[in-house]
Amino acid sequence: MPTITYAEAIKQALVEEMRRDPSVILYGEDVANFGGIFRITAGLKDMFGDERVFDTPISENALVGGGVGAALTGLRPIVELQFADFLFTAGDEVVLKAGMWRYGHGGAYRIPLVVRCPSGATATGPEHGQCPEAFFMHAPGLKIVSPSNPADAKGLLKSAIRDDNPVLYFEHKLLYATRGEVPEGEDFMVPLGKASIAREGDDLTLVAISAMVPKALKVAERLAGEGHSVEVIDPRSLVPFDRETIIESVKKTGKIVVAEESYKTLGVGAEIGAMLMENALEYLDRPLRRVAIPDVPIPTAAVLEAFVIPNEEKIYQACRELLS
Amino acid sequence: MDNKLKLDIYRKMLLSRRLEERIAELIKAGQVGGFMHAGVGQEALQCAAIATMRPDDYLLYAHRGVAYWVARGIPIEKILCDLAGKEGGTNRGKGGVMRVVYPKLGVLGESGTLGGCFPIAAGAGISIKVKGEDKVVLCFFGDGTSNRGTFHEAVNLSAVRKLPVVFICENNGWAVSMPTERSTAVKDISARAAGYNIPGKTVDGNDPEAVYAAVKEAVDRARKGLGPSLVECKTYRLWGHWVGDPENYRSREEVQKHWRRDPLPRFERKLLDEKVLTDESRAEFEAEARATIDKAVEFMRSQPFPKPETALEDVFSESTAG
Ligand SMILES: Cc1ncc(C[n+]2csc(CCOP(=O)(O)OP(=O)(O)O)c2C)c(N)n1
Ligand SMILES: [Mg+2]
Repeated sequence: MPTITYAEAIKQALVEEMRRDPSVILYGEDVANFGGIFRITAGLKDMFGDERVFDTPISENALVGGGVGAALTGLRPIVELQFADFLFTAGDEVVLKAGMWRYGHGGAYRIPLVVRCPSGATATGPEHGQCPEAFFMHAPGLKIVSPSNPADAKGLLKSAIRDDNPVLYFEHKLLYATRGEVPEGEDFMVPLGKASIAREGDDLTLVAISAMVPKALKVAERLAGEGHSVEVIDPRSLVPFDRETIIESVKKTGKIVVAEESYKTLGVGAEIGAMLMENALEYLDRPLRRVAIPDVPIPTAAVLEAFVIPNEEKIYQACRELLS
Repeated sequence: MDNKLKLDIYRKMLLSRRLEERIAELIKAGQVGGFMHAGVGQEALQCAAIATMRPDDYLLYAHRGVAYWVARGIPIEKILCDLAGKEGGTNRGKGGVMRVVYPKLGVLGESGTLGGCFPIAAGAGISIKVKGEDKVVLCFFGDGTSNRGTFHEAVNLSAVRKLPVVFICENNGWAVSMPTERSTAVKDISARAAGYNIPGKTVDGNDPEAVYAAVKEAVDRARKGLGPSLVECKTYRLWGHWVGDPENYRSREEVQKHWRRDPLPRFERKLLDEKVLTDESRAEFEAEARATIDKAVEFMRSQPFPKPETALEDVFSESTAG
């Protein structure tokens, strides 16, 4: 199996799906001639022509809303936002249009739209560094995926493109250069709504999202050296959410830590906690621990950013606390 | 424009240019980690437009360059500290160099999302009008940014409420890799003023006198309570979109052509011809700029990084209206 980067895996998925289905189009700011500010779409315009791959003005509402309109009328648009934060810029189109058009019209239409959202803190401050998945988990009608490795990046994007619903696809900027084995070929897909067990273990369940997964795996390794067996679960999709895999794991371990790069209040960990209260309270022998951003915007200066973004040490400490 | 004002604008253009050159060196040498969109080539319009302001007016600058702050009189060591994410800047490491703020001089800050500035400018205009003041708001934005929907909402609101806002478009031909003629349906962005029934004017943005005259007229009008205007300054982004941009989307010839219209040597020649500037005073200004920057860089180097736990501060204000 070839080893490629997360960025290359995303591009592979785009190319394969665009070859396979002429109704798939891709547009956004600087995606065609420049190849995307993160260089994901370089060369796609030459491959597919400028009706299917094009640059747009700086008009996020028209980008996402246009995606809804094109999806209603038979295309499968992929919209690239330059930063995940701009989902808020296009908030009406994301939440109220993409998420609610079908429902409000009694299921009359399908909306096969993918919005690609580069996420994650890279010392660029409060408006260019968020992982805002949790905001949109709260909004009905939007599927949400956050791959943590190249194979999932490819497989989930292909599923997202073929899905008949709007999918917000979060690609973490700090993962772009990470490498991993990725199956070749059109048929490789990763289904939406299925978690992956990134490492098996019996003593503690560590749920990690997106760029937190590689950190969680390092923490699990460190704790293994101290005699603790940690199970690392990567939900991969946040909507739909694979509750079963987490519940099964907690039944075995009785302890859970959730690591995420969103704000703590009403973050992914809060939802998992509530879900466990409803479904698995009797199996928990310690309180849930959340490792998340304290409820502040993301500061720009690197020293400040490092203070608020969850890192290996914070995840390790949270696990230690439950294991002691 | 009198000679004193000309020289003042020239000095600020020069200082801004030298400061950006130094910042680019610092970034390329890895000495500061900040992210910078240089404004090289756009200093004339930025300095001249801001020269029309009173100290109590409000400013919403755009993301392109340092000249807005230099022109407004924000000490440059503070700008450098913001760039480096250090103490001694204007925003305590929270916002970096893209969110320089200076309430004393009405510098309201910057929206990280393009187009966030327009409604805020209108809101400052509402405030001025409600309080019965005669201040104005200057709101700068790029050609690319003019295509955000917020532009339409805010300009129309300003027009119907006769808000004292001057919208200043810096049309530099590009938005990252997107040429203006492919992003924007009108040739002159000022033509859009007709849609709001407000004055709209296009000027040579590399000619500080032309910019000053046009913006002054708009500012005077706003101050009198006659409402907003749109001034488009045609200019060119001489450097890449950011420091380190590969610029694989535009030709060297195009860029070269525009370097020949670089506003700094052009204004310099004019002032020399007019004997407003002499070779000696020019050299003095250069030396002065270098010394000011050296000192500011020293200051920035001597400043500490903020204490990590201050990341938790500044979310909420503790005060109330009582
Ligand atoms: C809402 C939003 N979309 C996209 C961006 C990313 N971005 C930053 S600057 C820029 C280009 C802006 O072009 P223009 O307004 O012409 O200003 P210039 O950079 O040419 O000075 C883009 C696309 C952003 N910050 N905010
Ligand atoms: Mg521009």
